[in-house]
Amino acid sequence: MAPAFLHVNDLGKSYGDVRAVDGISLEIPRGSIYGFLGPNGSGKTTTIRCIMNIILADRGEILFDGRPLDRTLLDRVGYLPEERGLYRKMKCAEQLAFLATLKSVPRKEALRRAEAWLERLGLGEWKDRKVDALSKGMQQKVQFAATFLFEPDLVILDEPFSGLDPLNVETMRDVIREQNARGCTIILSTHMLAEAEKLCDAVCLIEGGRKVLDGTLQDVRANFPLKSVRAAYAGGKEPPARLPGVAHRAFQDDSWRLTLEAGADTDAVLDALRAAGQLTLFAANRPALDEIFLSVVRERRAAAGTEAAS
Amino acid sequence: MKMLAIIRREYLERVRTKGFVISTLLIPLLMALIMVVPMLTMQSVDTRNTIGLIDPSGEYFSRLDESLSSQEDLHVSLIPLPVTGGDVAAATAGMQDQIRDESLDGGVVIGDDFVGTPKATYYSRSVSGSIVRDDLQPALDRVLRQARFARAGVPDSLHAFLSERVAWESLSVGDTGEATRRDEGGVMLLAFTLIMMLYMMVLVYGQQTLTAVIEEKSSRVVEVLLSSVPSSQLMFGKVVGIGAAGLTQVAIWTAAIFVMAGQGLSVGGISFDASYLTPMILGSFMVFFLLGFLLFSMMYAGVGALCNSIQEAQPFATPIMMFVIIPMMLMTLVLRAPGSPLATVLSLIPMFSPILMFMRVCLASPPLWQVLLSWVLMSATIWMMSRAAGKLFRVGILMSGSAPNWATLIRTLRQPD
Repeated sequence: MAPAFLHVNDLGKSYGDVRAVDGISLEIPRGSIYGFLGPNGSGKTTTIRCIMNIILADRGEILFDGRPLDRTLLDRVGYLPEERGLYRKMKCAEQLAFLATLKSVPRKEALRRAEAWLERLGLGEWKDRKVDALSKGMQQKVQFAATFLFEPDLVILDEPFSGLDPLNVETMRDVIREQNARGCTIILSTHMLAEAEKLCDAVCLIEGGRKVLDGTLQDVRANFPLKSVRAAYAGGKEPPARLPGVAHRAFQDDSWRLTLEAGADTDAVLDALRAAGQLTLFAANRPALDEIFLSVVRERRAAAGTEAAS
Repeated sequence: MKMLAIIRREYLERVRTKGFVISTLLIPLLMALIMVVPMLTMQSVDTRNTIGLIDPSGEYFSRLDESLSSQEDLHVSLIPLPVTGGDVAAATAGMQDQIRDESLDGGVVIGDDFVGTPKATYYSRSVSGSIVRDDLQPALDRVLRQARFARAGVPDSLHAFLSERVAWESLSVGDTGEATRRDEGGVMLLAFTLIMMLYMMVLVYGQQTLTAVIEEKSSRVVEVLLSSVPSSQLMFGKVVGIGAAGLTQVAIWTAAIFVMAGQGLSVGGISFDASYLTPMILGSFMVFFLLGFLLFSMMYAGVGALCNSIQEAQPFATPIMMFVIIPMMLMTLVLRAPGSPLATVLSLIPMFSPILMFMRVCLASPPLWQVLLSWVLMSATIWMMSRAAGKLFRVGILMSGSAPNWATLIRTLRQPD
């Protein structure tokens, strides 16, 4: 994997007695789409605001490319905040151009790009309309354009898909992929794990202000035991009722879902299945991110609960 | 560069609104109306008031009428009322009936021996009616004086000599040492127009800063902005942009006043005198607006950074407003003796200077060093305010939750960065 573009080292931030972020360390690889995941209130937004230097961290170190964030670096970083922020009374193109000039894009160039982006997102006719007149989804697209307009090297998206319909989510996903292909490193903060799974190369899960696990998507999955496989026979034949290492079977979506016993040998299961007939499908049912995270978070909370009880 | 973009946006977004254009045009128009309408009505008062005279001796009607007709700009036409059998009371009652049914606008009763006991009683539906009194009183005075001269045996040739009145002229001594003539009424009117404008503009534009900061905060734009510019640049950019819009409006209005004064318009006999609008007065008007605005908008910006809505800002906005209202109440005090030590001290208090020092500049030509000192003191206060506001901006701008109070504000100011 490429060397880290953004280093966060032992970041801490408290609001009064509440430790919002409690010693988080991250390494975000250059050119990756990095999923910054966690339930609501886990400290994602606070971490991001610290990274963007909008609020000052109590402790810890943040390095971009080995340098602390300064004003010149700020012009290379885009930020889509969780709560959308646009001037309601300003025209769309004007607004985009203004936000881009704050990132040191010359005004004329900013206006040209603003119109191009609006055109591309299907908002060409709206460029001279005030933001007020736009629907929520459209406003969200404008905000998206503002984040990428100045061609940043790093973009932090805080819950980018909330409030968008599936069609718009698809458009935004395309934008993210395309910008990533251009070389932009993207941090995607979300609690929608299915979305993260579709986009991210690497992920990090935080809970209660602390990091729970991180790594590439493959590593995270590999470290998590396989819980089920799917299988199907030619002619729709049923698999044998009793198989070694299989706890339960159920027919689901044109194939059989076989729930494995803990520590079951997948090779043995495959051999047993093949002995019973001609397989048309045998696949490891990879655990979805949300399954993994749910179980991890539950485990941690249960552990914290027994700790507190004892 | 980035701050310029913020100033530009803040300025254009304001100047382009309909409200700005309308108020910029409407105020001079209103001022013109205020000046022109009384002039027109003055002329239309030409329809004279018919005033009855009850004069038991019958000697004075012709003299009074003659005396009146020597006056310019007359609003009264006098008619004699009959007094049958010397019954003044009956005649007066009859006159009152006529006033009641409006066949007379008013009536005057003088005694049998007017020269011995010079007393006149005026009857009308409204007691005010100053136009009639202003015409009748001097006319009666003249009649009395002539009758007394005659009684004392003063020769006619001396009448004019003895009746001569003092010719009064007000001159104001400026810093340049030359004395210039001033029409006191005109000077006061202009001065108060300028002071009211200053007062209004400082408040209106100061509060615009408050609204703008709160709007940015509640629409969450501020988070996007802070990911691009430091909070200090954001704050100064906003304040300067709004101030520039205010200055534009003030400049247009000042020009309008200048033009109108140049037309020699007058209100109720008080004439404007363009020469009164010296470069010192116009220049210090601009400076006091700018410094006053900066002073108040810094306070408003700091307060705005803590608040999430205009409602939340109310408890802070009222005390700030007091800083503008108190000098308005002290105006008469300073007006009575603009050069007194008390007036000097009050007008040097930075929060009061825009109104009190400017009033002294308009009316009393204070020493230049005092004016400059007030500018220095204001600038120093602005600098301190901007530091405090910057701090509130940095720490408070992302605060949300419960409504802030003075304790929150002080705690925030004391917080280390």
